Amino acid sequence: MMDAIRLTGVGYRPGAGFAIENLSLAVPEGAIYGFLGPNGAGKTTTIRLLLGLLRPAQGQITVLGESIPDRAPQALGRIGYVPERPHLYRFLTVGESLRFHRAFHPRWDQAWAAELLGGFGLALDRPLRRLSKGEMGKLMMLQALCQRPELLVLDEPTDGLDPVVRREVMSAVVEYVAEHRATVFISSHLVHELERLCDWVGVMDRGTLVTQLPMTQLKNGIKRLRITGPVERLDGAPFAVLSRNGQGPGAVWIVDQWEPAMTSWIAERGVRIDAIDDLDLEEGFVERLRARRRGGNHV
Amino acid sequence: MTAKHPGLVLKWLEDVDARSPVPLYEQIASRLKAAVGGGILADGDPLPSVRLLAGDLRINPATVVQAYRLLASDGFAEIRHGAGTFVRSPSSDQRQRERDAQARRLVRQLLAEGARLGISAREMKTAWDDTVQERSR
Repeated sequence: MMDAIRLTGVGYRPGAGFAIENLSLAVPEGAIYGFLGPNGAGKTTTIRLLLGLLRPAQGQITVLGESIPDRAPQALGRIGYVPERPHLYRFLTVGESLRFHRAFHPRWDQAWAAELLGGFGLALDRPLRRLSKGEMGKLMMLQALCQRPELLVLDEPTDGLDPVVRREVMSAVVEYVAEHRATVFISSHLVHELERLCDWVGVMDRGTLVTQLPMTQLKNGIKRLRITGPVERLDGAPFAVLSRNGQGPGAVWIVDQWEPAMTSWIAERGVRIDAIDDLDLEEGFVERLRARRRGGNHV
Repeated sequence: MTAKHPGLVLKWLEDVDARSPVPLYEQIASRLKAAVGGGILADGDPLPSVRLLAGDLRINPATVVQAYRLLASDGFAEIRHGAGTFVRSPSSDQRQRERDAQARRLVRQLLAEGARLGISAREMKTAWDDTVQERSR
């Protein structure tokens, strides 16, 4: 299968202090790829690089088979982009903004646009400067979806929106994907929103990719073990240890790259497993970042 | 009671939990099986389209497809290409097995909840028997 987005060894330095370094990531065609990372990790910069809005100092970027930034104009016509901050002309009305946007997109879906306008409760004659944050979020998503893109790039599309609007907006995204099998690249702080939606996850921290895995693998590989016994015998374990708390009875370890067969490996060393708990995506994400920032050898 | 309206199916599924270790597609399939086993969904009832169900739950459409495939392979649904997915009434044996499985699942939940509060299975059993007797009076 082809990758909808591929970055290889990308470097970019906007100024002193922060840099994207040796960034490689691949988003398979048809994936719903969740892009996670703390504030300042470089998520928005990465998005701007892959859209050709910034020029990388090193590395290659390919999006929908087009080399970026050289062929960005060809790619951008096939990409629906919802940026972090509103990018629409505030002096237009909703109707004018739609007509303007539509003029760039020959595959524009007018029937669905009309349906979504009604569903979202957006009036054509409202000037954009009068729209609430939620209404603006809905309009940006409507425009991105109705141009019928092959790839949706969503940068915190629901940030600051209330739960009702978030649901409406994300439902529209999912309906679009169900119908058109588009690829989605979505960054969000709302990890729970991504957890139910995404089948791939990439985690960024400090300008580089920490992890990139299918969602099921990411979630199943990480466990919280409660163990009792001579835990020092577990050196050289076949799993990665992200953190350990407590000694002797009732030690709690967070481990990664876990597989069910490893229970017997632990038992053979005279250590009792009291519990193996699953972590949700958010807990797993936090544990990985912490381990990495402590400078552990786990990546 | 039959669910001719997809809204009822959506209601039945709205609290699936992505954070649970049980995969979403399994949660969806097992709830729908319970609905069939309990007679809430009847033979031939249409299940919501992939687009509608995935959109409503804001989950990956592939997850819904996976859930419907699992239902079909277990004999609880029929996927008619181009037309949608429809409930298939299982044999009475199969239906009974499903009801038994659901009952065991509920009891396991109850026992686990009790254990968390330090209540033994024996105490739970006594409480169970007493409560059942009260209700049958």
